[in-house]
Amino acid sequence: MTAFGILQLALYAGLLFLITKPLGSYMARVFQGEKTLLSKPLGGLERATYRLLGIDPNRDMKWTEYAIAMLVFSLASLVFTYAALRLQGVLPLNPQHYTTKQMTPDLAFNTAVSFTTNTNWQAYSPEVTISYFSNMVALAIHNWASAAVGIAIAIAVIRGFARKSASGIGNFWADTVRCTLYVLLPISLLGALVFIALGVPQNFDPYLTVTTLEGAKQTIALGPVASQEVIKQLGTNGGGIFNANSSHPFENPSGIANFFTLLLIWSIPAAITYTFGKMVGNTKQGWAVLGAMAALGLAGILICTSAEQAGTSHLHAAHIETAATALQSGGNMEGKEVRFGIPSSALFATVTTGASCGAVNSMHDSYTPLGGLVPLFNMLTGEVIFGGVGAGLYGMLMFAILAVFIAGLMVGRTPEYIGKKIEKFEVQMAMLATLVLAASVLLGAAVVSVIDLPKEGAWAFLNTWPGSAYGGADSVYGATANNVNNSGAHGFSEMLYAFASATGNNGSAFAGITANTPFYNVLLGLAMLVGRFLMIVPLLAMAGALAKKAAVPVTSGTFPTDNATFTALLVGVVLIVGALTYFPGLALGPIVEHFQLQALATH
Amino acid sequence: MSDIFYLVTALAFFGISIAYVKGCEKLRGGSHD
Repeated sequence: MTAFGILQLALYAGLLFLITKPLGSYMARVFQGEKTLLSKPLGGLERATYRLLGIDPNRDMKWTEYAIAMLVFSLASLVFTYAALRLQGVLPLNPQHYTTKQMTPDLAFNTAVSFTTNTNWQAYSPEVTISYFSNMVALAIHNWASAAVGIAIAIAVIRGFARKSASGIGNFWADTVRCTLYVLLPISLLGALVFIALGVPQNFDPYLTVTTLEGAKQTIALGPVASQEVIKQLGTNGGGIFNANSSHPFENPSGIANFFTLLLIWSIPAAITYTFGKMVGNTKQGWAVLGAMAALGLAGILICTSAEQAGTSHLHAAHIETAATALQSGGNMEGKEVRFGIPSSALFATVTTGASCGAVNSMHDSYTPLGGLVPLFNMLTGEVIFGGVGAGLYGMLMFAILAVFIAGLMVGRTPEYIGKKIEKFEVQMAMLATLVLAASVLLGAAVVSVIDLPKEGAWAFLNTWPGSAYGGADSVYGATANNVNNSGAHGFSEMLYAFASATGNNGSAFAGITANTPFYNVLLGLAMLVGRFLMIVPLLAMAGALAKKAAVPVTSGTFPTDNATFTALLVGVVLIVGALTYFPGLALGPIVEHFQLQALATH
Repeated sequence: MSDIFYLVTALAFFGISIAYVKGCEKLRGGSHD
């Protein structure tokens, strides 16, 4: 790593840990219904929201009620977004006159699912497909709502550990409203102003047409970028206002904007670990979980940055300067912004995939095999390396249950975690959540690796890209292998990455796949739904069961879960489960590609 | 495929998810806590 890379990483880690305690403490107060600095200015709005929606915020919900409320809310907002996208042609704020021609039914389904599940996978180019209204209302609403839902679920799971002999795990509606008003809104307001100050545009103007220095005409897309950029990153959503996402100068204009973006992405996932510690009455428990996230995150950053900085044997053979100098970053610069160079690109790639954000400031497809392995592995862990807002914590708590279960098996004692006995049902639910994710990723990648769809006849539309909507010709692909730009190991990585990203609700793309076809839109849409909801339900069931239990007194035989030993065990379990489940897939993709590259270099 | 197909697909998934909630609750009922 370069000196700049080390300095930036140290500053990033330092600031992140500085944010963790105050923000985590504040969130604990918000979700426990205590008074905060914002209770006065926003309390009226909170109460008015409850009155308007007929919500009794003090009514405790059983886990089944909590889960069904979450599912109903998600379905309703999904249908709303689907309708708004399909009707964009007759809705306002549409200066480019986009219609259903661009927003086909399958793309609307994929997009509505994508934003509802906090994935923000974009099978389309935003600036040539969707109106300002679609962006600001149909999609941005989910940047808030899906983030608030994720955090609410994490809080409900925390209550499962914190409460003793209780029947409920909180109120879904109150948690979601409080999260939106007291956590997301104030940070987003301040963050949007910071982005505007850093040069991010915020307007409703039609696109500009300018003449370039070479005399060519260029269209420059504009829009309300700053206000959306902040919640896109803070809520670990990741859906770009522009197709180039955070490598676009209007989304991410400078190194400082890039650094601020990185802080936004990991701020809530880090802070909520402190909220967890605070709510269960032992902040060391939160630090132990954060320690595991930080160790895994740091390892990924170091591996990814080192691999990209080293470049490849092909670059060396072509006499390309791969050593960093004062004027250039060296290493493998393919697919990276010159403004950001290797350290800020590799750090971004690791942070965005560790956090289930999915915003990108470089093209992950262009990374070296080992550099690209890191973002892929981050997603395959189930997005627990900080993870999505809320989702990272409840995912890591799922692994914590497995860790104490394994530790219990090793010493022959009934496992306990945060004063609760971990019994058959909790382990069943943790395993169900783990297996659902693995099944979605592996089955999806396996199917698209081999399936041969018709290229002619009535079913040819299944794998057809609607190029005519963009002034070109439709592309009929037939077999799914034709949708990928690369053959062999790299092509397989592109397919595996797509399903890891969809199931992990990350949303970043390895690129290389033309995914806007009915087949991919439906299959990846289903992977997103499975990855989000079929994982949340068993974790809420686990929380409901834990809340009912009485606390077990700490004895000399209790396995401590608030120290470095437990952190190491947790890291080990995440790595072992990830390695055992996905090693064959990784071996067929980035690992074999790495050795192919080495073999080519020696011949 | 038409709008109806995608809306029915979404409804079916959430229907299955609610059944999944009930299934997990039933499983819990069968285990002691």
